[in-house]
Amino acid sequence: MTKKFWIGLIIILIVAFMGVMYQKYVKSPRCAFEGSAITPIFEVDMVLKDKSTQKFCSIYCATQWFKKNAKSVDHVLVTDEIRGNKIDSYMAYFVESELITNETNDNRIHVFQQRQDALTHAEKFHGTMTDDPFAVDE
Amino acid sequence: MIVNIYTLIMLFVSFVSLSLGVYLFYSTLKMIYGFQKYISTETKSKFEQKGYLIFLVACVALSIRMLAWPWFYFMLQSFVSEVPGAMCMFGVTQILPSTVTFLQIIKPIAFFIMGGWFLCYYVDKSIPAAPFAKRILYLLLVVCGVLLTDSITDIVYVFRMKPLMSVSCCATFFDVPLRPSAMIPQAILGSHFEKILFVLYYVTNIILIVLLFMTLSKKWQSLSPFLKKIILYSRAAIGVVNIPVVIFSFFEIFAPKIMKLPYHHCIYCFMGNGAVPDAPIILGLFVMGTFAIGWMGILRLICKHDEAQTVTERLILKVNNFSAFCMLASLIMVTVHLIFS
Repeated sequence: MTKKFWIGLIIILIVAFMGVMYQKYVKSPRCAFEGSAITPIFEVDMVLKDKSTQKFCSIYCATQWFKKNAKSVDHVLVTDEIRGNKIDSYMAYFVESELITNETNDNRIHVFQQRQDALTHAEKFHGTMTDDPFAVDE
Repeated sequence: MIVNIYTLIMLFVSFVSLSLGVYLFYSTLKMIYGFQKYISTETKSKFEQKGYLIFLVACVALSIRMLAWPWFYFMLQSFVSEVPGAMCMFGVTQILPSTVTFLQIIKPIAFFIMGGWFLCYYVDKSIPAAPFAKRILYLLLVVCGVLLTDSITDIVYVFRMKPLMSVSCCATFFDVPLRPSAMIPQAILGSHFEKILFVLYYVTNIILIVLLFMTLSKKWQSLSPFLKKIILYSRAAIGVVNIPVVIFSFFEIFAPKIMKLPYHHCIYCFMGNGAVPDAPIILGLFVMGTFAIGWMGILRLICKHDEAQTVTERLILKVNNFSAFCMLASLIMVTVHLIFS
């Protein structure tokens, strides 16, 4: 095997390691379900039983991931669309309306901390109150 | 039409290759009809000059066209922000789906045939008698046909591409249980196909790399012609089998694992959304390694001549070396990602 061959392989190894380093240390967090960028106002954080957190871009992605991993989830933090506060999902009000939060997955579920905000949104965008999608049936 | 630097360059490339392609097709056809066994020295000189011009134009046109393949994906990626609802290139492919599918099929075919033609031309040029001139001209006709089709479709696509409709996310197609990339291997390998596919990926790739290195070893010369033939044919067969194995492995195992998105099987996200910056290199190396195996076959098929044997064999050895390097490099990169991610 020639010298060029070995130099080429070393370059390839360096490139692969740089790729791994980028993924580990440089890349900004992306949705753990489909890898898209996360808009802070619609962010959903899933705190797992091992204390690690998975971030999602929308309720749609979070529910899809939750369906497959419900057992490993400790609690879910959702973001109030009005104030940007992170709240536990069981304390939040969910509204399914005609307004889309994320065009890529057609998510129409909105999160509110205050019941009044949820009702106002539902009235304005022809929506209905829905149950907590992260509630586990006992 | 979406106007940006990518579409403008694509249009420029397509128009240049289209006009050169039309001239090339006409000149090649004329030259083939003008081929005679016995001609005067004066006519021969004219013929040679014309031949040089044709081959020069062919080299320019084909080089441009080959670069249009990666450029096409850069262009699709540039459309992502323009198309409502698109998260990656998959969303873009939802607009004019048949044209995009056709382009995605014809571009690798064009790249492969053009690469093969270049290698044959190199052999022919290295020998003063140019023994393969006629065969190369015939192959050039086929190449011109592909080049013209590709260029015209590119122009049509760029002009007709309008981001007027909202498209769906790749997750709605690639992450459903009945996705084709899961159903096909499941039908062949059974319900636990992931493990088998993973093993199959490493087995076929390692065998292929070993066979490629075998021809580079000193023992190769001492093998009998029959054994050599068996090795070469089995290498070509494994090379072909390796293509679907790698494609399905990337969709079902490697893309989700390397992207760290275990439920997301979108190859476009893997390739273009920046989650894995070296993903295009991994896939590019695999493609070049596989194509190189095919190019060796083309060289063996077209450049069969006593006079050219040494040149052909030397070039085949170089292509073999290149293929072995690409396949090994791609495998190493995947493995590094799997271990350290």
